[in-house]
Amino acid sequence: MEIDIKRIAKLAKLSIPDEKVEKFQKEMEGIIQMVENLPNLDTKGALVDPDNTMELRKDEVQPSYPRDEMLKNAPTTAAGCVMIPKVVE
Amino acid sequence: MDKLYSLSATQMKDLLNKKEVSSVEITKSVIDRIEKTDKDIQAYISYNFEEALKQAEAADAKIARGEELNDMTGIPVAVKDNMCTKNLLTTCASKMLGNFIPPYNATVVEKLLADGAVIIGKTTMDEFAMGSSGENSALQVARNPWDISRVPGGSSSGSAATVAASQVPLSLGSDTGGSIRQPASLCGIVGMKPTYGAVSRYGLIAFASSLDQIGPMARTVDDTAMLFKSICGKDFRDATSKDYTYKPYGENVKGMKIGLPKEYFGEGISAEVKEKIYSAVETLKAQGAEVVEVSLPSTDYALSAYYIISSAEASSNLGRFDGVKYGFRGSKTNNIEEIYLSSRSEGFGDEVQRRIMLGTYVLSSGFYDAYYKKAKVLQKAIAKEFDDALKLCDVLITPLSPTTAFKIGERSNDPLAMYAGDICTVTLNISGLPGISVPCGFDKENNMPIGFQVIGKKFSEDKLLTVAKCYENTVGGFAVKEF
Repeated sequence: MEIDIKRIAKLAKLSIPDEKVEKFQKEMEGIIQMVENLPNLDTKGALVDPDNTMELRKDEVQPSYPRDEMLKNAPTTAAGCVMIPKVVE
Repeated sequence: MDKLYSLSATQMKDLLNKKEVSSVEITKSVIDRIEKTDKDIQAYISYNFEEALKQAEAADAKIARGEELNDMTGIPVAVKDNMCTKNLLTTCASKMLGNFIPPYNATVVEKLLADGAVIIGKTTMDEFAMGSSGENSALQVARNPWDISRVPGGSSSGSAATVAASQVPLSLGSDTGGSIRQPASLCGIVGMKPTYGAVSRYGLIAFASSLDQIGPMARTVDDTAMLFKSICGKDFRDATSKDYTYKPYGENVKGMKIGLPKEYFGEGISAEVKEKIYSAVETLKAQGAEVVEVSLPSTDYALSAYYIISSAEASSNLGRFDGVKYGFRGSKTNNIEEIYLSSRSEGFGDEVQRRIMLGTYVLSSGFYDAYYKKAKVLQKAIAKEFDDALKLCDVLITPLSPTTAFKIGERSNDPLAMYAGDICTVTLNISGLPGISVPCGFDKENNMPIGFQVIGKKFSEDKLLTVAKCYENTVGGFAVKEF
């Protein structure tokens, strides 16, 4: 099993420096080898979990946190908004 | 009074109720103890001493007014650094959140404060709770008080170390694959992972949401129960939390049936660990418990299912760290893509990046059915086997960690060896069941602690505590490290 680290990293929005690619690839292949011992199973209904139903809360207005409090942790802000470089031309 | 810091929380509570000491005196003693010993233990990322003294003063005022007290009033508690504390740095031991000051409290913190507890500081951990030794912390690596050249276990490394070193009587940990129970075992203290849903996860920085659970760590069973009582129950902010009411526990195991799952006593577990677990079982048998052998045949697949499910959820949960809204922003900022890439690559440590990539891989097109779906089917099979086994007995007893605490650095370059150590603990997160770690002796060669695990049906924490309490009474209490 060969893993294309560059492709996976791209999907995960990570940038792996060239000197680390080999190490990560080796480790990931080892881990995949470990988890590959799964038996053949019927996976129908695998993602249904009737025993653990979540209870949805009522859609009611609740007190929330003030805007300036929430923005305190943002790296860059302007005019009460989070600021990022221009994304549209 | 001398050495107030070394008292159990239950003893502190009695003295506070009798007005023989004040919470300020206790808190000052705890602060002094931490200041003297933490350069060796390195359990804390942030201290909260100033605020803690104010909380202690408020508790004393309550006591002076003769108000009805909660168990936790005036008692110092340490909190793992992945639980949000308002206006107090919460880093998850990651560069990514190295400057994050939450605008709100996690529900567990809110509950502790409402009960009058004193929050003494934030403990170090493996980055984003990913690890089993504490060494994956990007900020500092906690030491095992029994031998500071060894790991305390993880990921709740600081929470285990601070309690074991008698810096503080109580701490909160979180457990996604054993992160409360394993460090408790390696540090010779008690730690309980409650049933999934028994404690609110609101404000716990998510690793794998369907497996994460917050729980108590302490040096005695009574203290463990006292902290659990304060934090459990339904919370409207966590849709998976359940309407759970704390049930008192006993100390008698007469007639109780203990199951020993044979798959947990295989080759991978050191002979000495097994011997100590069997001897603990004999102790309980002498107190009137019955012992039966049971079987959990899918145990071999548990580690794989766990690493697939937990990494898949982590890769999704950690998608929120993008260098935009909060947390670390990377060095390249010319466009939004550069912000994402450089923030995540510079902000996350290697282990976190490894798990994000593993999760991305098992969820990616073409592999989803082979890995993720299969793991989810196995999860159900494992849970069903536990249900069946627990129809034949009241509780199960197993080892917790295949070995005692290893040297710092010994396994840090071998993720697979590190993952393999989680075999006895991940099954409970997969099945949602509660488990408690109980100290039961030391290895001969290095005199490092060994613990056993008691497992029960969902929401049977009272039974786990009963077994643990009976054992504690019978052996005359657990050894405490003079440090």
